[in-house]
Amino acid sequence: MTGAVQLLATGISAEQDVFALRRDGRAVAEIVGLDPQDQIRLATALSEFGRDRIGCADATCRFSLRAEPAAILEVALRWSGGPAPAAETLLSMRRLVRELDQEIGCRRGRIILRYPVAVPLEDFAAAAERVTEALSMGVAASREEDLRAQTRDLIVALEEARAHGEELKLLNEELEQTNSGVMALYAELSSELEQTNIGVVALHAELEDKTRRLREASEAKTRFWANVSHELRGPLNSVIGLSRLLADAPPEELGEAQRQQVELIASSGATLRTLVDELLDVAKAEAGQLIPQPAPVDLGLLLAELEAVMRPAVPNPGVALVFPEPAGLPALVTDETMLTRILRNLVGNSLKFTESGHVRIEVAVSGSDRDRIEIGVEDTGIGIPEQEQARIFEEFYQVRGPHQRGKAGTGLGLPYARRLAELLGGSLTLESAPGRGTRMTVSLPAPAAGAAADTPATVPCLVCADDDPAFAAVFRPTLTRLAERVIELRDGADLLATVRREGADAVVVDLDMPIVDGYEAVRLLAESEDLAAVPVVVVTGFALADVDMARLGHARAVLAKESVDASRLARALGLAPLDEGAS
Amino acid sequence: MSDRVPILRIGENLLVSIQIDLDDQTVMNLQEDLAAQVVKYGARGVVIDITAAEIVDSFVGRMLSTIASVSRLLDAETVVVGMRPAVAITLVELGLSLGGVRTALNLEQGLAILAKRASAGAAGR
Repeated sequence: MTGAVQLLATGISAEQDVFALRRDGRAVAEIVGLDPQDQIRLATALSEFGRDRIGCADATCRFSLRAEPAAILEVALRWSGGPAPAAETLLSMRRLVRELDQEIGCRRGRIILRYPVAVPLEDFAAAAERVTEALSMGVAASREEDLRAQTRDLIVALEEARAHGEELKLLNEELEQTNSGVMALYAELSSELEQTNIGVVALHAELEDKTRRLREASEAKTRFWANVSHELRGPLNSVIGLSRLLADAPPEELGEAQRQQVELIASSGATLRTLVDELLDVAKAEAGQLIPQPAPVDLGLLLAELEAVMRPAVPNPGVALVFPEPAGLPALVTDETMLTRILRNLVGNSLKFTESGHVRIEVAVSGSDRDRIEIGVEDTGIGIPEQEQARIFEEFYQVRGPHQRGKAGTGLGLPYARRLAELLGGSLTLESAPGRGTRMTVSLPAPAAGAAADTPATVPCLVCADDDPAFAAVFRPTLTRLAERVIELRDGADLLATVRREGADAVVVDLDMPIVDGYEAVRLLAESEDLAAVPVVVVTGFALADVDMARLGHARAVLAKESVDASRLARALGLAPLDEGAS
Repeated sequence: MSDRVPILRIGENLLVSIQIDLDDQTVMNLQEDLAAQVVKYGARGVVIDITAAEIVDSFVGRMLSTIASVSRLLDAETVVVGMRPAVAITLVELGLSLGGVRTALNLEQGLAILAKRASAGAAGR
């Protein structure tokens, strides 16, 4: 008779193992014939133990049947690599199991549960075998069941994974669709943009075409004006001439009344011709046929002439025509004819619309570099309403109103004046308030500094040193045109003393001189403090290539005797350019 | 093994019928599902039928207590019905009395307890 029969052994590592242990315990208890309450107690005790021991490195449960002293079911629980079981767990087990031995060490331990079973001792071996057999079947069945459940779980998990994959695929497809939608939108937008672009290009071309046609129309208009006014002048001249002739007829041929009528015809004809001339002028200006010919202009003289012309045109004795003082007016380089026309137009215009007060002409220098000359024409006339101010520079435009009554005009004066001012490189601007008057300002560029006006045309005293009396004689007239007083020397020796004594304003020296030559004279002049500012010009018979220019740095210029003339000398001395023809 | 226990609705009450031996994960799932369903249906009572449960150890017992407490916070009374004698004895021997959990012998009596409470509550209003 053997002492013990091993029934079953299981390990405990995971939660499912607790469940299995519980079930195994129950099965064993049932097969060995424990009463139902004890079956539950054992299973519950194993459950408590198993849950407590899950964290252990190694925990096992071993079921066995023992035959001595009586038949008992022994359940041996062992563990290692973990803390001792909780006191509560041990208490629970003690409550459920009648016989319990425990050996609990530091890291390992053992608990033995014992239940008496109703197995006859004499037949123990056979009974034990029966138990083992039954157990192996039952446990195997339940193990199989576990496996099946695990497989089921696995299948479910797989299914879930598959569904997940499907979902991902679906999402991917959706994303792809969105993507293609975005691409389509992008394509649509870019094609729209392209179309807009094409439209813009077409519009641009159309605009260009319009501009060209406008320009052509404008040119045609100008041509038309020029032709028409030209054609009109012929017959008009005949009318004027013939009516003059008629007016001069002897008194017996023409009654007083007829003579007056003929004179009216003549004066109307003259007015008409003025208008036609204006028209022709504007047409020429528009066509770019007027080319300014700038020349130095004496503004005082110009204004005096203008005053002589305009004075008789003052319609009303209550209007004062005020011109500036001729002295001190700035110099001007411009086209005199054009400037006269501009001013005549402006002054005429002002006189026309001024009932009382004054028409004043003013001249001023302006600009940050004093580079503009402004000629203002100011009146105390009816003024121009603000909304009309831009339009009065349009051709044929006239401000409507009672002031027009009895005033002839084409509406060409101001546009013409502005056009001329622009041709002269200037501008024509307007300030006006209705009832207060108008101020028209012609702004013209001032001549480049140093070219005119401020620089005198002559110097008071000039000293010339040259040892060649023949050349000096030839040269003398030239010098007298540039200086009021000319002092001639034959050598450079007493040059400095003479210049100092006479207070000379310019020095002309020859290079080749017997005692003190030109090089030395220039050096002496450069080194003397009081005379260094006096301009020096060297005039020599040497070829210029042979002259040692490095020694003549102080001289304003080195000129050759064969080519020197008054204007070159004047330029070299910094004098105003000579008016050729004048002496 | 991580099966879900079905939860049935009968009027204002939820019925949980445990037909298998409970393992730990199932009990924990049950706790979550039940709380969600109580809120979802506004249930006033929960009946847990443990007729099929052969083993109720300390863990499952404590979980039943927890379920009852949670349900009470959600304004639902919990009644555990159909406890086997062996289970009851084991629970007592374990020192667990399922405090705070009302018990009834069977499903019928459990529902009757809930109905009485509901009518008492309605009358009290």
